Parts: sequence; structure tokens; C-alpha cells
Amino acid sequence: MTTPEEKTKAEQLAERAELAPREPLEMPYLRAIPQPTPWPILAAFGVTFIFAGLVTNWVVSVVGAAFALVGIIGWFREVFPHENVEAIPVADCEAVLPPPVFEPRPAKSPRNVVPEEIHPYRSGLKGAVAGAVAMAVVAAGWGLIDEGSLWMPINLLAGTVLPSVGEATLEQLRLFNGVWFATAVAVHVCLSLAVGMVFVVSLPMMPRRPLLAGGLIAPIIWTGIAWATLRVVNPTLEQYISWPWFLGSQIAFGLACAMVIARSTKVRLHIGRSFEDRMGFEQTEGDES
Amino acid sequence: MQWAISVDHKKLAMMYIGAGLIFFLVGGIEAAFMRLQLAQAGNEVVDPATFNQLFTMHGTTMVFLVGMPILLGFGNYLIPLMVGARDMAFPRLNAFGFWLFIFGGLLLYFSYVGADGLYGAGTAPDVGWFAYAPLTSRTFSRGNSTDYWILGILVSGFGSMTTAINFIATILCMRCPGMKLMRMPMIAWMMLVVAFLVLVAIPILTAAQAMLLFDRTLGAHFFDPETQGSAILWQHLFWFFGHPEVYILILPAFGFVSEIMPTFSRKVLFGYPLMVAATVGIGFISLGVWAHHMFVVGLGPVLDSFFGATTFLISVPTGIKIFNWLGTMWGGRIQFTTPMLFVTGFVAMFVIGGLTGIMLATVPMTWQLSDSYFVVGHFHYVLFGGTVFGIFGALFYWFPKATGRLLDERLGKWTFWLLFIGFTLTFMPMHVSGALGMPRRVYTYEADRGFEIWNLISSIGVPVQMAGVALFLWNVVRTLRKGEVAGDDPWDAWTLEWGTSSPPPEWNFDRIPTCTSARPLWDRKHPEDPDAHYE
Amino acid sequence: MTALNANPSTGPLKAPLSRAKVGMACLIFMESAFFSAFLVTYLYYIGKSPDGPQPLECLELNLVLINSVCLLSSSVTVVLAVRSLARGAMGAFRLWLAVTILLGLEFLLGTGYEWWGLIEDKGLTIQSNAFGTNFYSLVGFHAFHVFVGLVLLIGVFILSLFGCINPKRDHQRVDVATWYWHFVDVVWILVFTLVYIVGRVPQGAAA
Repeated sequence: MTTPEEKTKAEQLAERAELAPREPLEMPYLRAIPQPTPWPILAAFGVTFIFAGLVTNWVVSVVGAAFALVGIIGWFREVFPHENVEAIPVADCEAVLPPPVFEPRPAKSPRNVVPEEIHPYRSGLKGAVAGAVAMAVVAAGWGLIDEGSLWMPINLLAGTVLPSVGEATLEQLRLFNGVWFATAVAVHVCLSLAVGMVFVVSLPMMPRRPLLAGGLIAPIIWTGIAWATLRVVNPTLEQYISWPWFLGSQIAFGLACAMVIARSTKVRLHIGRSFEDRMGFEQTEGDES
Repeated sequence: MQWAISVDHKKLAMMYIGAGLIFFLVGGIEAAFMRLQLAQAGNEVVDPATFNQLFTMHGTTMVFLVGMPILLGFGNYLIPLMVGARDMAFPRLNAFGFWLFIFGGLLLYFSYVGADGLYGAGTAPDVGWFAYAPLTSRTFSRGNSTDYWILGILVSGFGSMTTAINFIATILCMRCPGMKLMRMPMIAWMMLVVAFLVLVAIPILTAAQAMLLFDRTLGAHFFDPETQGSAILWQHLFWFFGHPEVYILILPAFGFVSEIMPTFSRKVLFGYPLMVAATVGIGFISLGVWAHHMFVVGLGPVLDSFFGATTFLISVPTGIKIFNWLGTMWGGRIQFTTPMLFVTGFVAMFVIGGLTGIMLATVPMTWQLSDSYFVVGHFHYVLFGGTVFGIFGALFYWFPKATGRLLDERLGKWTFWLLFIGFTLTFMPMHVSGALGMPRRVYTYEADRGFEIWNLISSIGVPVQMAGVALFLWNVVRTLRKGEVAGDDPWDAWTLEWGTSSPPPEWNFDRIPTCTSARPLWDRKHPEDPDAHYE
Repeated sequence: MTALNANPSTGPLKAPLSRAKVGMACLIFMESAFFSAFLVTYLYYIGKSPDGPQPLECLELNLVLINSVCLLSSSVTVVLAVRSLARGAMGAFRLWLAVTILLGLEFLLGTGYEWWGLIEDKGLTIQSNAFGTNFYSLVGFHAFHVFVGLVLLIGVFILSLFGCINPKRDHQRVDVATWYWHFVDVVWILVFTLVYIVGRVPQGAAA
């Protein structure tokens, strides 16, 4: 516990006092620190002995109680009527900061929040629409080419929320059903918008190849999850699905959505920027980037 | 003598941490003996009774005499410095609490010579660190070693409670001008929540231990099922203390990470308000998860589901923290100094421990894995990979502040990698041996059950860890003698403790600082771009 | 947050909390946790003690009601004492404090008398059954806290006799010390409700 250079307190204080101009003290009463005192350790010792006596001998407890009593009385006299403090002759100056040992860093604000630039959230909505259309086209293609019915993929999509679809026959699945159609459209729109917003938030975090990440990797991952879980969640639904086509439709969504987002003009993210700014509705600064 | 009568929070803190490190070595040696015994099937290094004492003392020591004092010690050192105070709110109470902890720990260890053993020899407690009833009744635990366990923990618990009162009073009443609650360093927030948890949880343990003491000495009937008592009641009371205790042990380490990581990423902590909210959330939810330690008791589907659900729930604020740390590092100018290595190691290891924790929150999985080495692996990932790594990171980070000298970086990196590799070698295989069905707390196992190789790997990890710890101790000794002089602010950090000399004077600050933002030192170093501008 | 930008406050914190008050509040919080363990345990064991003396036949309300009235009214007298001190009326302060101490003593002695009767006449000890175990632990720990509070008050009283209490300087300190006494009172309300009302409901009715 030694200071780098063994100087006396007075020397250190004098040195500091020279480095900075004197200012009037704000809180002189705070310059007192409590004096060292033996009473707390004595009281603690006594309390421990009181308990130790329970497993050894009652005499130990009596001795402990005596110690504790003396300690507590002494402690009380330390704080009553006035706290026993030691006044410290403190030099009245700001601490002077020495240069850090490690190499100094540029004085850039530590608040460079990443990502510095984001796609406007509005582009996520656009991307979602584009993706939704692309996905619908591929899915419709599967229905027409493989299954001979445009309604098949729509009805199956409705099956993600309507359990009754899973019990329907193949013929029923190939026919138009108003309720199922409305459900499927609602599911498609909701999911597309949700994924679109996730894309617009997360794509700047993978800045190098947005098309690879958003258009290929992400769809493959969630298709894999669907493939692995659907047989447990809804086995009847699973038997109708053509997984290559399914993957194709998801990739179509991802590519379309990611492309729209990636082509949007980025806005600079700035602390304090309002929600409207982030939506891309009001571009007050950073438009040039 | 100067140290014995000191009421200076910094001296007390260093004594806390020093004593905790000594107990860490003792507890580590106990663990090493256990690993030596388990290295091979049918080993006979220690006899079964000794093995029981070893795991009891290892667990009790590591939780009550290592984790608590070191973390409370860091709180003691850092809170006044970080909030800009001259000392704790009750400096004498602080000394009192420290000495209660020390004497309590010594009382516990005195059982090795003082308790009634065979032929007048001493005997350590051997009922496990959670001391389940009715194993602790007079019928099954003869002599008074269990009484030593009760009293030692009781006394040191008093110390923790007084310290917690001190923390709360200091944080609420002693902040310097401008240090609003939402400008406090994360550590102050963590310690505030920890102190709250101590005040809720430790009295429950004290009450339960008082009941147990009445059972054993006065013939009361709290926990003895033979005489209308309830053994389950002990489990409820103990774990109502025990689970908040886990968060008492991990939250300060979260605080270390939240201070060290921004400094070495050269970026502010990501999502400070959310971090505060998550900390407070953890504090509250942790009071409602205790019975996930009791799934195998058979509490019934309703209670099991409830406590499973709350346990899942607590992973949400914890997950928020993990992502905030990742967000802090993301895009930063990361410098892998030794403290930074330890806290990144912390995050990785803690995530593993947290994930196995979620597995164990699933009731049927606990039915399968309870009391197996899987559980041992799980909580060592949290407490060693989490708390101990955090403590080492903090030691390397604040050592220059406390002593004025920088610990050697090269030795520090060796320490990290030795500890990291040794830790993984020891505790990763435990998940496998546990899943294979190896029960914990049994002094040996039969050959040809597939346990051998995993136990051997676990035991091989021990000397690697010991080498890491030895290197750290050598580093400390060497640095104190001829280490590089640190200066006031070696890491170019932003919190108040770096704004005073290293080591700080007894009165901490020549002038009570004022602060205009959460990073007062940044403001002082960069008046042209003050942080207050961004708040 | 923008409001802060405009005017980063550097002035001293407004109305900082008093250390003593926060410390005492924490102590009371901690003690509440301690008592809640015993209260919950008592609740858990109500009606689970088939053998030995039963609450309904052991516990009588006459004496304990007198005790309760004494303890609860002592909370009022201690408030009067603190108010007198704040006014600087040392005589009234000493008087009310003495009354408080006497009321507290009555409670302790009354509890002791009740216990003596229970042990001698009813044969209820801490070893008898789960009821005895819980009764003596809960009421005993409460009585111990009353004792500690009483020591605190007697200490203040002795200091005031020797003229060491300065109304201006110490009024806050004495006030904070009496918080503990109020806490002990509140705990007694819970203990009384649980032990003498809820715990004495006949078991058939409870089930």
C-alpha cells in the first residue's frame, strides 16, 4: 500500500495547490472524516463470542456479552453527543488529470451508437409489400403448377391459425373458402409487415451483404425451423406442403424485401432524433449521405 | 493495528477482498481434494465422512465467505468513490459489519478443531451447504458441528445485513451534487438492488437458522417430521433466502461488466435505463422463484408450473442485460486488456450457465437432472464463469486505483487463459456426467458406467485453474513491489473514482465533485463535447 | 430528457434524505423480513398440532388484552414525548418517556406472567408440540425486540436525567429511535391477530 513516489500528504497537497487556482470552499463541513476507533471490532468480537458460547461454554457467552457491552457503550460515546471526526487540511483545488498510460484516443464522443446510419423504417413497410407480392406469386405458381388450384396455398396458410383446415379433405383444400381466404390474407399481411420491420431494423447490423443475409440466410433458417416444428404442431398440414416450393417462396420474399430496403436512402441515426425522423417522414439532416 | 481500528471504507474494502481471497484459496483446496477423490472410480483419497465435510465447507465457504465478502468489499470500495462521497454513511457500522463477517467465518472454521468429533478431535459440518432437514436434526447430526454451521453463518449474516443498510443509506443520502439516481454508475444501481435483496433474504435465513437452533438445543419441533415438524418448511425458508442469494452473488458482477465493458469498447453502456429497469426487475422477480429448487419435492402441478414460469420470466431481464452488453461492444474500439478478457469471458460463460438454468426451469428436466452433476455444472458456470470471472476482471481493473500500480498485462492474460481453459475442462464435462446420471455429493462412483472419462477430464482441469490462481497471486506480489505506476486514470475511464489520486486519499476527494452527466470525467476531459449534451 | 439538456443541474441535491432515517427504515425493513418468516411459519402450523395442549385451551385473552393495550398506548405516549422534546419541554419529555417505559415494562412482565402460567398450569413448553414451538418462538422473539426497544428508551431517559439531551440537537435522533418502538408495536398487532385470534379459531371452523 505505497503511493508511487513516497511523498508526505503535505507535499502532495502543496503540489496540487500550486497546479490549480484556489476557489472558495463549498462544503467545509464535509472535509472531516471519522476517526479510527477500536469499539466496532470490540463489539463484533463480543457478539461473536456470545454465539460461540452456545457451542462451547456459557462462560464464553458471558465474556462476549461483556465485550459487546463495552464496545457498544464506547461506540455510542463516539457518536454522541457529537461525531468524533478528524479534520483534514485539504488543498482546495480540482484534481488534475494526468494523461492515461495507454495510448490516447481521439476525442470522439463515446456515444457513437451503432449503427450510425439506418434505413428509414418506411422502407421496411415498402419491402414488406414487395416481399408479400413476390411470395404470393411463387406460392400461386406452386398451386397452379403442382396442385392445379390457386386456392390450395391460400387455404394452407389459413391453416396456420385455423385448426379446422388441418381436418379438411384434399378436395376442400382445392376449393375457394371465404373465411379461409380472409384469414390467409390477414395472416399474410401481418407476417409480412412484421418481418419487413424486423428486416429494416436488423439489416444495418449486417451491413456487408444485405441480400445474402436477408434474402437467403434468414429464409433458410426460418424454413428450417418450420420444417422441424410443423410435423409436431400440425402434422396434417405438413403432409400437403412441398418444401422446395415453400423455401422458394420464402426466398422470394426475403430477396424482394431486402432489395427494397437496401436500395432505400439511409438516414443518419442521431441521439434525440424523433420517431418521425426515424420513420423517414421528415429528413432534417443526413440526407446527403 | 491501524487496520484493525480503521473505519475507512477503502481499507475495510481491501480487508474484505483480501479475506475473501484467502477463503477462496481454502475453498479451492477443499474442491481440489474432492476432484482428486473423484478422478478415478473407487478412489480412496478421502473417506466418505471427510468428503461430506469437504463439499459442505466448500459450498458454505464459497457462498458466504468468498462471494459475499468480495462483492460487498468491491461495493464498499467503489460506492463512495463512484457517487462522490467521503465515506460510507455509517463508517463505524461498516467496520462492525466487516469484523462480524471475519469472526463468523473463523467461528465456522473453528469447528475443524473445536466441534465434538470422534475421540475429542474436531469435526467440520457435513450436512451440505443447504443443510436439509431432517439431516440436521439431533438424531442424524450428532455432536455440534451443525451448530457451528448455524452460528458461523448467523454471525457473518449479521455483518452482511449491516453492510446492506450502509449501502442503501450511502447511495440514497451521500451522492455528490448533480449525481442523480439515473446518472449513477451501474455498479451503484446493482449494489442498491443487492442491498435490498440482502435485507429481504438474509433475515429469512437468520430466522430459519434460529428455528433450527431451537430444534437442536431446546428440543423445538420446527423441522423434525418425527414430531409434527415439517422438513419441507426448511426447504421453503432456505430457498426463499437461497435464490435471492444467487442474485446477490451475480448482480455485482453484472455491475463490473457494465463498467469495464464500456471503458474498453470506448463506447457508453448500451441502454442504461433499460439496464436499470432490468436490474430492478431481477431484484423483484428473484423473490418469487425459490421453489424451482424443490421441483423433485412434489409440490404439485400448480406450484411447479408457477415457479417454472417465474423462472422463465427472470431470464427476460437477464437476457436484456446480455444484449445490452453485446450492444455496448458492437462497433466499439475494443481493447482486449485483461479486465476486458475476463468480462467478455463472463458474458459467454454466463450465457451457457443461464441456458442450462432455463433447461432446469423445465420441471420434467429437473425431475431427471436434479441433484446430478448437471446441476453442479450449471451453477458453477454461473458462479465461477460468472461471478468469479467478474471478480477477476474487477480486480485487474481497479487494482491500479487501490494501489497505484498496474497489474502485469502479460501475466494477466496468462491468468485468464489458464483459468478459462481450466474452468472449461473442469465444469463442461460435468454436464455430460450429470446427464448420464452421476449424482452429486456422493464420494465415489462405480466403474463402467461411463463416468470415468468425464470425471478424469474434470479433475485434470483443477491443476490448470490452480496455476492460473497462483500466477495471479504472483502477479499481485510482483506488482506491489515493482509494478508499473498507474497514475490516476490508467484506462481513460469516465466514472468519478478515476478523478482522484491512486490510491485515493483517506478523504477520497480534495473537493467534493459535482457532476453534470452520467460520465463526469468525460465532461472534465472534453469540455468541448460534454456528455451532458446527450442526456 | 430534453429538459435536462437545457439546464444540467449542478447545485446541491434538494432536501437530501437523512442518513439516520434511511438507516432506521432499512433496519425496520430487515426486521420485518425476519418476523415475516416466523409469522408465516406460525400460520403454516395452525391446526397441524394434534397432540398436547391446544391454543384454545391454553391462551386466555384477559391478561394479553391488558398487555396489548399497554403496548399500543405506549406508542401514543412516546409520540407525546417526542413532541414535548421538539417544543423543548424537557419535564414533559421525561414524564411521557417514563410513562412509555413503564407501559413497556408492564408488557414484558405481563408476558412473563402469562408464560409462567402456561408452563406451570397448562404444561405448554417449547417442546410440547408444534403449537408450543411456534408460540414461544414468535412471542419470545417479539418480547426480545420489546426488550431491546426498552433498553433504547431507558438509555435515552437516563441521558435526559443527566442533562445530556439537547432538544434542538437531539430531537431528530430521539425521533428516529422511537421509530423502532412503533415498529415493535406494529409487529405486536400482527402477532396478536395471528396467535390470539386466527390461531384460536376452533379447528373444525378453520377447516
